[in-house]
Amino acid sequence: MILITKNLRKEVPSGETNLVILDDINFSLEEGKSLAITGPSGSGKSTLLGLLAGLDTATSGEILLDGIKINLLNEEERAILRKDKVGFVFQSFELLPSLTALENVMLPSELKSENDPQQRGEYFLDRVGLTDRKNHYPNQLSGGEQQRVAIARAFACSAKILFADEPTGNLDPRNGKLVSDLLFEVNSETDNALVIVTHDQDLASQCDKKIELKLGKIVD
Amino acid sequence: MLATLSIKLFIREIRSGYLTSMLLSLVLAVTIVSGISLFTDRLEKVLSSETKEFLGGDLKFESNEDAIKDSLKKLNLDKSKTSEMAVFASVIFSEEEMQLSSIKAVDNSYPLIGELELQNKSGTYKTKQNPDQGTLWIDERLKNLLSLEYGDNIYLGDATFVLAASIIYEPDRGSTNFAFAPKTIMNISDLAATNIIQPGSRVEYNYLFTGSEEEISLIRETLEENKNQGDDIESLSSDSSALGRTIDRSENFFLLGGLIAVLLSACTIGISSQRFARRHISYVAILKTLGMNQFQIRGLYLLLFFYTTLLTLFLGLSFGWVLQSNFISLMDSYFPTELPPPSFYPLLITCLTVLICQFGFIYPHISKLLDISPMRVLKNDITFNQNTLPIFIMGLFAFLFLLYVYTNQIALSLIIFTGVIFFSFIGIGSIYLLLGKKKLGLGAQDAVTLALSELRRRKLSNSFQIFAFTVAIGLSLITFSASKNLLGSWQDSIPDNSPNNFAINITKEDKDSMELFLSEKEIEINLFYPVANAQILRKNNEENIIDRNFNITWLEDLPEQNEVVKGIWFQNGTKNGISISDEISERYDLNLNDEVIIQMEDGSLETYIQSIRAVDWESFSPNFFVIGHPSLFEERSSTYITSFYIPKSKQKVAAELMREFRTVSVFSVEELIKQVRDIVNQVTKALNSILLLTCLSALFLAFSALQDGFDQRRHQSAILRTLGATGKLVKTSSLIEFSILGVVSGLLGSMIAHTGVYFIETKVFQTIPGFYPEIWVMGPIIGIVIVSGLCLYLVNGLMKQSPKELLSQ
Repeated sequence: MILITKNLRKEVPSGETNLVILDDINFSLEEGKSLAITGPSGSGKSTLLGLLAGLDTATSGEILLDGIKINLLNEEERAILRKDKVGFVFQSFELLPSLTALENVMLPSELKSENDPQQRGEYFLDRVGLTDRKNHYPNQLSGGEQQRVAIARAFACSAKILFADEPTGNLDPRNGKLVSDLLFEVNSETDNALVIVTHDQDLASQCDKKIELKLGKIVD
Repeated sequence: MLATLSIKLFIREIRSGYLTSMLLSLVLAVTIVSGISLFTDRLEKVLSSETKEFLGGDLKFESNEDAIKDSLKKLNLDKSKTSEMAVFASVIFSEEEMQLSSIKAVDNSYPLIGELELQNKSGTYKTKQNPDQGTLWIDERLKNLLSLEYGDNIYLGDATFVLAASIIYEPDRGSTNFAFAPKTIMNISDLAATNIIQPGSRVEYNYLFTGSEEEISLIRETLEENKNQGDDIESLSSDSSALGRTIDRSENFFLLGGLIAVLLSACTIGISSQRFARRHISYVAILKTLGMNQFQIRGLYLLLFFYTTLLTLFLGLSFGWVLQSNFISLMDSYFPTELPPPSFYPLLITCLTVLICQFGFIYPHISKLLDISPMRVLKNDITFNQNTLPIFIMGLFAFLFLLYVYTNQIALSLIIFTGVIFFSFIGIGSIYLLLGKKKLGLGAQDAVTLALSELRRRKLSNSFQIFAFTVAIGLSLITFSASKNLLGSWQDSIPDNSPNNFAINITKEDKDSMELFLSEKEIEINLFYPVANAQILRKNNEENIIDRNFNITWLEDLPEQNEVVKGIWFQNGTKNGISISDEISERYDLNLNDEVIIQMEDGSLETYIQSIRAVDWESFSPNFFVIGHPSLFEERSSTYITSFYIPKSKQKVAAELMREFRTVSVFSVEELIKQVRDIVNQVTKALNSILLLTCLSALFLAFSALQDGFDQRRHQSAILRTLGATGKLVKTSSLIEFSILGVVSGLLGSMIAHTGVYFIETKVFQTIPGFYPEIWVMGPIIGIVIVSGLCLYLVNGLMKQSPKELLSQ
């Protein structure tokens, strides 16, 4: 199993009481498989994704990512885990505006101190069909193109698991389809597991597994 | 609707804390401006009346003859607004004793300004009258020296007088060149009866005038037209007393500190406004989408800033009033009367400052904000027009305008302005040159590579930060050095055991025995300076180039507190000439190697100007405009002047000395030294408060500049950490990057400070410029400590938030 959660709970302070965002989350995901997390707005999908990827900490419960209990790690250790094993695609792309498309894709390789980040960056940029746009800055690219750069960056990580938060949420249907197809296509070429948070039922249906959240709990 | 919305917006902004740095900077600027201008305004008023009293009127004419009388008669002056007096030195006698005294014969208009404080059998009293005919008023010291009681007879020349009172305080203290000897005041109508004034007698006729500006200007004109060689006209323009100079220079420092603090605050306000505008992009876009037009939105923001101005003025003026009250309470015991209330000028300059800050540093950002397209609501990446040059230029103009408002001198403002811009461009240019072109990738492999890559990538925004840090460090160092220079020069001028007594009119015969007398009393004596009265004439046309007689001395060694600024000091084995002070050189256009004739009572001699000296007139030791080499004056007759320190335990020595050496005049400057020391101590406290406020403004500026940079870095840091960058990498690279920026800014700040301090010392304080090596050490250290310290504080703030929290902001 690449990912296992046990009795996961997340609370946030709200005034004098605590608000429960997620409660009793239990599931697992095999290596190389894909999982869709769906549910209405405010059901806790993105919070769950953040916890799974080690971007945030749970109030209680356990998360095992590639056998590592990430709930026991501190922020520095989680950062190293993210660098080695995790890739991301966000709804709002989250590219660095001061870097070109190529430089954004090179970033994970640089952080890993890999030998030739440029070659790796160019390969993945070519894989998403943006070789001719490699020297463009994010504000010179369309939404669809920016998300393709983000996908290239996510795969350039050589991650074991890729988390995608509403990857098509900011795109029109045509570009959304293009991006989701690309996501699955590139993923199929690797052994990566894929976790997608989405409202898009078509996208969810392409995944091997699906869980639905409602008011912070998994609906059976 | 607009008013309600603007009030809601204002309250929301205040509560959110986003307006805090702008508000704090504005309040700080207003506090400093109002505090300092209120204080200096009141100080100037009291100093002006003090100076007036010191001079004895608005205008004073000094002459060695009374020839001007006829010209003055033609002016038909109001007798109550003019006063005539004759001042001379003469020996006065009691039944048993005699003593040299400085005699002042005054007419019925005396005193023209202020009042005298006298003492007689019945105690002390104040009067605005001159002495009755046949009576004299004398110094308490003279009364003791002559062993007199009130009502005793005193003899002056051929006339006999009655001692009516002793003088405790006289308003026109600066009225005479003979003031070193104990003072006697008599009625001018009695002068003829004394038969003292004979042709050739050394008498100084003083004419004092008071009146409106027009009247004084007319009198001045007449005096200028009719004045002879050696006559002198003095006006209220400056108080040359040691105390006056001390206060005058500290006032200059207050104004300088105020200006610097305001400039720093202005830069902070500019940066805060930029942040404010950036945060309001979406808000304006939404308002536009909801149908608000440009005019209404402009009105909304103008109202918001109107409330900010009101709040700022209310808080700043209140704090300013407290600040000036504290300054006043430190110094009010040095002024005889209660300080006058301030004029409207401080309020005016405060409001003008706020207005310039609003329109120069805030309004351009708001104006740009109004251009934002409503499409921003749909497309999040729509932002400002990236061209910030017009805003920067507008800010620079406001900066220059503030400089002009505070200095009132276009040239000075332009020099400071150009200096700041010049050094900032040097810094920015050197950053561009040193870092070279950016390389591919972010360089996130390690902290050093990432830091250097960030420096290359953010050249433009780093340049603005360097500008801000440089201004903050440079101007703070200027304030620090100026205060250190002021305090240092004051302390140097009155070191412990500095001479508190001066003795003049020492004859050659008395010199050795006086030296013996003082050494027996264990009083350490300084050099005996020979003194002679002389005139200088230009050799080529024998024109008298100095319009009055002056004292000249001759000695081999350069006195302390003197510095040769041109030429060389006397050297053995060469034909030496004379050395003149830089004031004389400037005033009479006398230059190195000019040939001159020195005319003295026992003949004249030809020589040349060998050197020009800068003299620290504030030192409590004998200083001279002209010093000759002893070989030139070997056979010349002279008296001597010396100074010595009499400790409190040996106070009687002065009286004994005067009894022993009747023709020698001894006068004490103990009270003056004490007064100057006390006021320096008090002014130091005020200087330190100004320094503290300036440093606070600098800290605000540095923090705002950093905070502005960090807004842009927050997102990058979140993404880097999401992708697996450790907090250590982000923190270390930021520290390296900002330490480099801090060092560069510190070095540039040192350059600005060094140039600024040189300029201030020579032009504003008019002192000998010093070299401050500590500036070069302090600049980079302050830069690295403050900038990286603040950076660490901000990075730690970022690290406390999880990447998810940062991404969702």
